Amino acid sequence: MSTINFANREINFKIVYYGPGLSGKTTNLKWIYSKVPEGRKGEMVSLATEDERTLFFDFLPLDIGEVKGFKTRFHLYTVPGQVFYNASRKLILRGVDGIVFVADSAPGRLRANAESMRNMRENLAEYGLTLNDVPIVIQVNKRDLPDALPVEMVRAVVDPEGRFPVLEAVATEGKGVFETLKEVSRLVLARVAGGS
Amino acid sequence: MVEPSLVLYGAPYERAVEVLEETLRETGARYALLIDRKGFVLAHKEALWAPKPPPLDTLATLVASNAAATQALAKLLGEACFQEEVHQGERMGLYVDEAGEHALLVLVFDETAPLGKVKLHGKRAAEALARIAEEALANPPRLALDTEYREGAEALLDDLLRN
Repeated sequence: MSTINFANREINFKIVYYGPGLSGKTTNLKWIYSKVPEGRKGEMVSLATEDERTLFFDFLPLDIGEVKGFKTRFHLYTVPGQVFYNASRKLILRGVDGIVFVADSAPGRLRANAESMRNMRENLAEYGLTLNDVPIVIQVNKRDLPDALPVEMVRAVVDPEGRFPVLEAVATEGKGVFETLKEVSRLVLARVAGGS
Repeated sequence: MVEPSLVLYGAPYERAVEVLEETLRETGARYALLIDRKGFVLAHKEALWAPKPPPLDTLATLVASNAAATQALAKLLGEACFQEEVHQGERMGLYVDEAGEHALLVLVFDETAPLGKVKLHGKRAAEALARIAEEALANPPRLALDTEYREGAEALLDDLLRN
């Protein structure tokens, strides 16, 4: 649930980028950080290992401006994708308002995508949440791989019922990165402020 | 949603700020913050003499995450919680205490503030803030977000996230 600070007239939303290891979650945030102008973003914090694998999380605050007298902020987080960091992943999901599930198009990562989605469902359940309680967008990343799997095949393992919006991306080139963030933000806003 | 939204405004907010102000006076700390467990700032005060603080969003996020990890560690060791947390460097220190179930008190202090005072008054402040937070949770304000807000926010997003 969003955090509203009436005194400072601020509304804050928490968006979490979830997905298997090396699927491009941090790359999404790095791209956003590189393109959003100064003054509209805070410092990007990365708690990573020496080889740049996310250890705890990455964090990027975005200030989209003032709406109806309320300063509106999106706090973007990534979780560590590696299987053994599940304790950290669970903590980051606390109070989440929206999720971007970053899936990997590589043929060898199909099972990792499915495992990560299952893991996300389990971790949400720890907070009493189901996949229906949180706006979710699937980003199928690495579409530039020569042997990238068809989007429908990736979707079939992470969202077989076709419940969530799917966007294609090449996060290293920024393709689909803003579109994904906009889509999940729209869903989050619709959830708290009426609409679809 | 299981996670309740802790919203401070009006009288509870004013009282929280008073507690933070008093704690700054009593301890000699530089900055005092009340944050929620998700890492958002609910209220903060800075000592008049203190230099510009670090980015509060980042501070709150890191403290809340650290507190969450510490709590997970406590559970792992069979404890209900590790209540207070103190970090001290050569010049700067950080005191974090639970202000009830849903919020944290954060005090940032330098070498001029005695740690004993920080802990003593920090503990009292955390208790007072816990009561305020509980009261705020029991009487949540009505959210005034409507479709006009949503459309305005979407337009700003479109503007900010242009390829």
